[in-house]
Amino acid sequence: MTQPIIEAQGISVEFARNRRRRLSVRELFIHQSRRQAKGKFFALKDVSFQISPGECVGIIGKNGTGKSTLLKVIAGVLIPDEGTVQVHGKVAPLLELRAGFSDELSGRENVYLVGSLHGMSKDDIDSGFESIIDFAGEQVSDAIDTPVKHYSSGMKVRLGFALIAQLEHPIMLVDEVLAVGDKAFRKKCYATIEKMLADGRTMVLVSHSEGDLKRFCNRGLYIEKGHLKVDGPLTEALAAYNADTDVIGKK
Amino acid sequence: MASRTASVWDGREVVSLLVRRDLKVKYQSSFLGYAWSMLEPLAMAAIYWFVFGVLYGQRVGPDGGGTNGYVIFLLAGLLPWLTFNAGITDSTRALTSQSKLITTMKVPREVFPLGVVAGKVVEFFFSLPVLLLFAVIFRIWPSWEGLYWLPAALLTQTVLLAGLALLLSSANVLLRDVQRIVRILTRLMFYAAPIIYPLSKVTDAAASGHVPVWLKNVYEANPIVGIMQMFHAVWFPSEAPDTKLLLTSVIGSLVVFAFGWWLFRRLEPAILKEL
Repeated sequence: MTQPIIEAQGISVEFARNRRRRLSVRELFIHQSRRQAKGKFFALKDVSFQISPGECVGIIGKNGTGKSTLLKVIAGVLIPDEGTVQVHGKVAPLLELRAGFSDELSGRENVYLVGSLHGMSKDDIDSGFESIIDFAGEQVSDAIDTPVKHYSSGMKVRLGFALIAQLEHPIMLVDEVLAVGDKAFRKKCYATIEKMLADGRTMVLVSHSEGDLKRFCNRGLYIEKGHLKVDGPLTEALAAYNADTDVIGKK
Repeated sequence: MASRTASVWDGREVVSLLVRRDLKVKYQSSFLGYAWSMLEPLAMAAIYWFVFGVLYGQRVGPDGGGTNGYVIFLLAGLLPWLTFNAGITDSTRALTSQSKLITTMKVPREVFPLGVVAGKVVEFFFSLPVLLLFAVIFRIWPSWEGLYWLPAALLTQTVLLAGLALLLSSANVLLRDVQRIVRILTRLMFYAAPIIYPLSKVTDAAASGHVPVWLKNVYEANPIVGIMQMFHAVWFPSEAPDTKLLLTSVIGSLVVFAFGWWLFRRLEPAILKEL
């Protein structure tokens, strides 16, 4: 067996339930008892798995069961409370549809900024710039020198995906990006992803679309309430997911 | 720890990118652009010069300076102070305002507050021509020995600022009140450091019993006091900090930096969840 490219060992991530509302000093002192009563919950609990190079793994599960959290842990933008994640290689993340663009800068400047943040050299971006704009579509290429704040959300996603697609990192993390964008753009995305997989890159995909998952993935991780329930062939994971969903439907 | 430092060092490319982006946004989105780096200290210096230099006569500046000397004295202190002030205010929000980048990209998180600090230091250099302009007009020159104080002052200030940036930016994510507290504290710090008045006003007051000695000691324990004295010493050799004051500044800044770094590392997992 080849050396795994992503190794997760018993990761747990704990969130305090009402930390979503910003804590202020007043609350810290006055409402402390109530805060504690609400307690904490695990977004992920003791999740372990290994992913080999070249695999395409789909993560499935209901909303709010920790899929995106898991992806963030792999991307290294979230530190697990317990367990370790080892990622051998650079990661190209497309999380939450945002590529981290600055609103005030133009599309061109953002491509250079975010590209360099991902480790691309200026020459890399120079030579790839045409194809990035090309990929992002006519609308974006017309507006490439206007600030990104005037872009529609579709345009931002397209430019973001186009940029990330240029990265030659061995690992791709994709979170629900395929659900947005129009049909033509989705088609391009599919082609790009297929090409990447053909190049032997590793991909972790979060999606609710069975079609997308079946198209690319051979393996599925089914997560339920933070626990890794099924780790096996995609069909098996999907079957478990569907079975659980059907039970709820019948109730 | 060592690998952590190395990864921040690897992130220096990122820092320079962020600095350039911030400066670009700042200078692009306003009509006067670069001029603001000089206009703000100029306006503030004008106010204090009018109030203390003109209304209170020449009794404010260091000895032998005169009114012209007071203008130089003011600018020599105000420029680094404005850098410091802006650095603290902006770096407090460094993580919260960059949450988009932080939650989508794996870069050492320290680069965001440290990047703000680096940007402010660059802006400090941009604002120096104001001071030079007045030096030329008034024909007041720093001595060669005095010039040695400038890098020392800037270095100590940068270390202190970096420590505070790490401290405040991480605390602010978990406790948004921090940015409000900071606004009040910087205002307080401004008057609690020899920026618009010379340190001798405080030591004289303590010597004559107007100010209790313990209060003077508390005052001098503030690392900013020694830093400001260093900046003033460039132009006024009489203002050069003594060994005790110098050590207080340097050690104080290093302690703040170490604590800021430690706290940042400590809070990092919680910060990432919160963003």
